[in-house]
Amino acid sequence: MEDVINNVDNKQKLKALAVLYNVMDPELFVNIMDLGLVYDLIFTPQSILVTMTLSTSHCPMGEAIVEGVKNVLAEQFTDHVIEVELVWEPKWSFDMISAEGRRQLGIV
Amino acid sequence: MSDINIGKAPPAKAVIPFYAIGALFFVVLCVLLFLSASDLTGHYFSPHILAVVHSAVLGWGTMIIFGAGYQLMPVICERDLYSPTLAVISFYTLTTGAGLLVTSFWFFWVGWPMITGGALVVTAALLYAVNVYHTSGQCNRHAANFIISSAAWLLFTVVLGLLLAINLRFPFIPMSHIDVLKLHAHAGLVGWFLQLITGVSAKLVPMFLLGKSEKDKLLKYAFYCQNGGLVLFLGDAYFNGLSNRGLFYELIIGVGTIAWVLYLADVYRNRVRKKTDWQMKHTGLSFICLLSAFLVLPLLYGSNDKRWALVLGTLLFMGWITGIILGKTFKTLPFIVWNNKFRLLNGKVKVPMPKHLYKEKLVQYQFWCFLFALLLLVAGISFACVLLIRVALMAWIITALLYVYNVGVVLFYKIETNGGRNK
Repeated sequence: MEDVINNVDNKQKLKALAVLYNVMDPELFVNIMDLGLVYDLIFTPQSILVTMTLSTSHCPMGEAIVEGVKNVLAEQFTDHVIEVELVWEPKWSFDMISAEGRRQLGIV
Repeated sequence: MSDINIGKAPPAKAVIPFYAIGALFFVVLCVLLFLSASDLTGHYFSPHILAVVHSAVLGWGTMIIFGAGYQLMPVICERDLYSPTLAVISFYTLTTGAGLLVTSFWFFWVGWPMITGGALVVTAALLYAVNVYHTSGQCNRHAANFIISSAAWLLFTVVLGLLLAINLRFPFIPMSHIDVLKLHAHAGLVGWFLQLITGVSAKLVPMFLLGKSEKDKLLKYAFYCQNGGLVLFLGDAYFNGLSNRGLFYELIIGVGTIAWVLYLADVYRNRVRKKTDWQMKHTGLSFICLLSAFLVLPLLYGSNDKRWALVLGTLLFMGWITGIILGKTFKTLPFIVWNNKFRLLNGKVKVPMPKHLYKEKLVQYQFWCFLFALLLLVAGISFACVLLIRVALMAWIITALLYVYNVGVVLFYKIETNGGRNK
């Protein structure tokens, strides 16, 4: 029974992660997943906790990005409490950008 | 949890009005320049040139910088803006003061209108300095040091300017008025504009280019050379009078400027974003204007020909400062407006991205028009050719109209959403 729940949760977690590809960093115009801003996502039957960072700790677009994460998850998972935890360790760096993110940014 | 470390952008009313009025002042500046075309072949101490210069430095340059500063200080020092209310009051005092000063100079109303304008500008500078000082807190970053020192130099500059305005009506300064005017101009250019732009660019250019430099020491050298050279220049001129020794102090300031440019060049070399947009091209061109201005200095010291002062002023005000603002406006304003209008809608409905809020093509046209206008104006003043100057100034008016239109597009951007019209 526990395995079944875990499987269901894993599927839901994957769905939640996929939804986060829709949240764009307005400054870089690349989604937050490809930028490597999302560090972890804990999915429980009642809540979703996203652990993430920002490219700079007083990023002027920070509030918009966090709102974006909450909004896209709340729309898909209406019965879950959505929480976002911002962390500054490990510090975000260019190395965390995915190959697709680099392509979109025009990084050689 | 998300509220613990995240910064709150200053309210729109503390930032956006500066951009709006600054853009309008740019149009006023270009129109006044056009009306003063024949003055550009004479001495710089004329009512029309004084009006043009003050609309450039206060209404245009300082106005936009105040707005950008209130937005960027929290980013640089990772603290919220100390007082949005003081920022709003500084907007009203700066706008009224700059307007009154420019009008007073144009019609040469020596006396209370000019003194009142100067006093309002001093009030704005004081409010700005208080806000910058308290927002910076214990922040000891190079960029913040430059911004704090530049705010102090601005205060020094505008107080000196107010004393000059009083001196025109009630003479009391023992030194020559023109000599004090030169000190006033130097403090403004090297203390306020150069240091402010050095500080802000040290933070913004790496952000925009996704670049970095390990050569922080260059910024330290820049800070000491720019400040040291300026203090020596002002001190020597005040106690011993203006002399050719000034060129030596300019050289120290020049070393400080080159140290800063080398830092930015290192950031450029180590950038990950290879594509350079039109905004950054404006910035690149503005640096060329600044370095060209240093090359004009020996001509200024070596001859009595006043045209070199006007060429220098053109390269600095219309080339360097204007070039930076023309580009950086579309790197900052769309984000500020977007944050204000669409922040809470992000992820909820389909919203445009900040770069969709302005017309990129117009920025490209603006760049070429700006380059054409600048080259022609420098040539016109250098050859004392009024016809060339007039054609150049028409190109300047077109540049200003392209700019103000695009700023309007950003400020009044509207989208259709499911629920109706979104403002």
